[in-house]
Amino acid sequence: MILPRYSEFCGRVKTLSGASALEAIPGELKKLNASKALIITDRGVVAAGLIKIVKAAITGKGSRLTIGAVFDDTPPDSDYKVVNAVAKVYKEKKCDAIIAVGGGSVLDTAKGVNILVSLGGDNLLDYEGAGAVKQRLKPLVAVPTTAGTGSEMTLVAVIADHDRHVKMTFVSYFLLPDIAVLDPRMTKTLPAAITAFTGMDAMTHAVEAYFCLGKNPLSDTTAFKAIQLISNNIMNAVKNPGDMESRLAMANAAALAGIAFSNSMVGLVHNLGHATGAVCHVPHGVCMSIYLPYGLEYNLHKVGDLIGEILYPLAGAEVFAKTPKKQRPLATIEYIRGMNEKLKKATGGRHATALKDIVDREGKQMVPRDAIPVIAKNAMGDGAKIYNPEEQSYEDNIMVIEAAWEGVPLDLKKIKKGPKKQKF
Amino acid sequence: MNINKYPEIKPGKKYIKRIYIAVMLWIVGRAIQAACRVDREIKKEFAELPEHFSFSLGVLPTGPFMIISKDGEGRAKYDGWKKGRNSLPLEMNIKNIEAAFKVFSFQESTSVAFARERFIVNGDLGYALAIVRVLNIVELYLLPKIITKLAVKRYHKWSEFSPVRKYVNRVLIYIRTFTF
Repeated sequence: MILPRYSEFCGRVKTLSGASALEAIPGELKKLNASKALIITDRGVVAAGLIKIVKAAITGKGSRLTIGAVFDDTPPDSDYKVVNAVAKVYKEKKCDAIIAVGGGSVLDTAKGVNILVSLGGDNLLDYEGAGAVKQRLKPLVAVPTTAGTGSEMTLVAVIADHDRHVKMTFVSYFLLPDIAVLDPRMTKTLPAAITAFTGMDAMTHAVEAYFCLGKNPLSDTTAFKAIQLISNNIMNAVKNPGDMESRLAMANAAALAGIAFSNSMVGLVHNLGHATGAVCHVPHGVCMSIYLPYGLEYNLHKVGDLIGEILYPLAGAEVFAKTPKKQRPLATIEYIRGMNEKLKKATGGRHATALKDIVDREGKQMVPRDAIPVIAKNAMGDGAKIYNPEEQSYEDNIMVIEAAWEGVPLDLKKIKKGPKKQKF
Repeated sequence: MNINKYPEIKPGKKYIKRIYIAVMLWIVGRAIQAACRVDREIKKEFAELPEHFSFSLGVLPTGPFMIISKDGEGRAKYDGWKKGRNSLPLEMNIKNIEAAFKVFSFQESTSVAFARERFIVNGDLGYALAIVRVLNIVELYLLPKIITKLAVKRYHKWSEFSPVRKYVNRVLIYIRTFTF
């Protein structure tokens, strides 16, 4: 096990997990002196009937919590202008807490709103960058409706500025929600394709957390358990959406992966994924599932041993024991590619395994080949780059994105290699 | 109760380490200014930063610091070691003197220091990455390979960074850094 000479870890989100976790929200908010909550969500969540379930659960008999308003216009890619608009609603309705019900975009929007309503001002851009949030914010309850982003456990909010084509990263321990609610009713109706790519998003968080530069024994523990839970449950959750046990397991896995990567940070996969999302508006999880094997291949010469260790939670003790140590790193990559292929089959081809295959609702290709240089350039300004074990230049980015666009493995000989032994 | 039994404990000064870091920051600051006039990559990095951009790199809570700004011609200008009260567009500070000493004595690379949460960055992370790239190139010029390798993730190969560029620029940067 790798024990860094110095590391930091913080995982202080109170987590309510189980079949009736939603019902506990009013009591928890009361402890935080909050009585009027703004619900932030999106239209998909409302259409799936999830807000009805949340409303019934939190305003039931005995609850003193009132709902100030329900904002359901959050776009799929959180935008700072939306954040500014929601903050206005919060202030006008005199709310004193936020309940975010949705996927990563909703949770990140809610974190942005919380910055504005707690610190004042009417433009989120005033708080851009790390270190701008320096004090405790209003109570925030995160109710994830996908098992993927882990945003309910993270100190990060990624919010886009579509005018500048950039994704802004807000980082502060004060952005950690006060309460995370993992209720399997919230993910029960999630379509198979979304279950697949959000699950692989969580897998990416856990895997990158295990080999990127900020790893430490505490984040390793949560990452390992997350990989195991996802590997054991993702296919069942895709094939049998109503299986509440698999749904709860996936929700817990996403939260564990969130804790892991929030503390050890992530590398190339997220770096290129953020850039691809910003330039081509591809959902984050789709980028993650495609880039994950490439992130492993790219860093193989530096952290091969760690990648080999991932085979244990991924494939189980028996496969791990049967595979010779030298073959484990490549076996891990093959296993993940195999998972993506199985998910593609289980979702009727909707789980893309190459960038060129990603299409929007009208069937139009989302990542044209000529976007590759723009994505590579954009990635040079994304913070995840710094935590990747191997250096990433513009040319390296081009090489990886081209391979991911075609869906072919990286040519390991072409990877420029720094020193073989990685220092943690 | 005798209150004098409980004296205040004031923080130590660690003069030697503080002086070492101040000297390093002075050299690096002057070298960035010089390199921006010599190296095309650094020139390009600064050209892409916004007008009136400035940043500080230093040690919390009291310094020393290194202040660099972008002048009217888009080049880097070393503005000394004293940080005013106003915050700058980008502030990259190391949390304490011990952590700073590890970074400036090359016991820890910049990326490992980031991973160990040694830095507190206030400002746009994209700009911070541009500055890290500039620092990596400046280290390549200032230091011998054996030390630079400790500070960067991957040392440039000859094919990526020609020896002519490296040695000619190194001489020019050294001359400009130490002459006024």
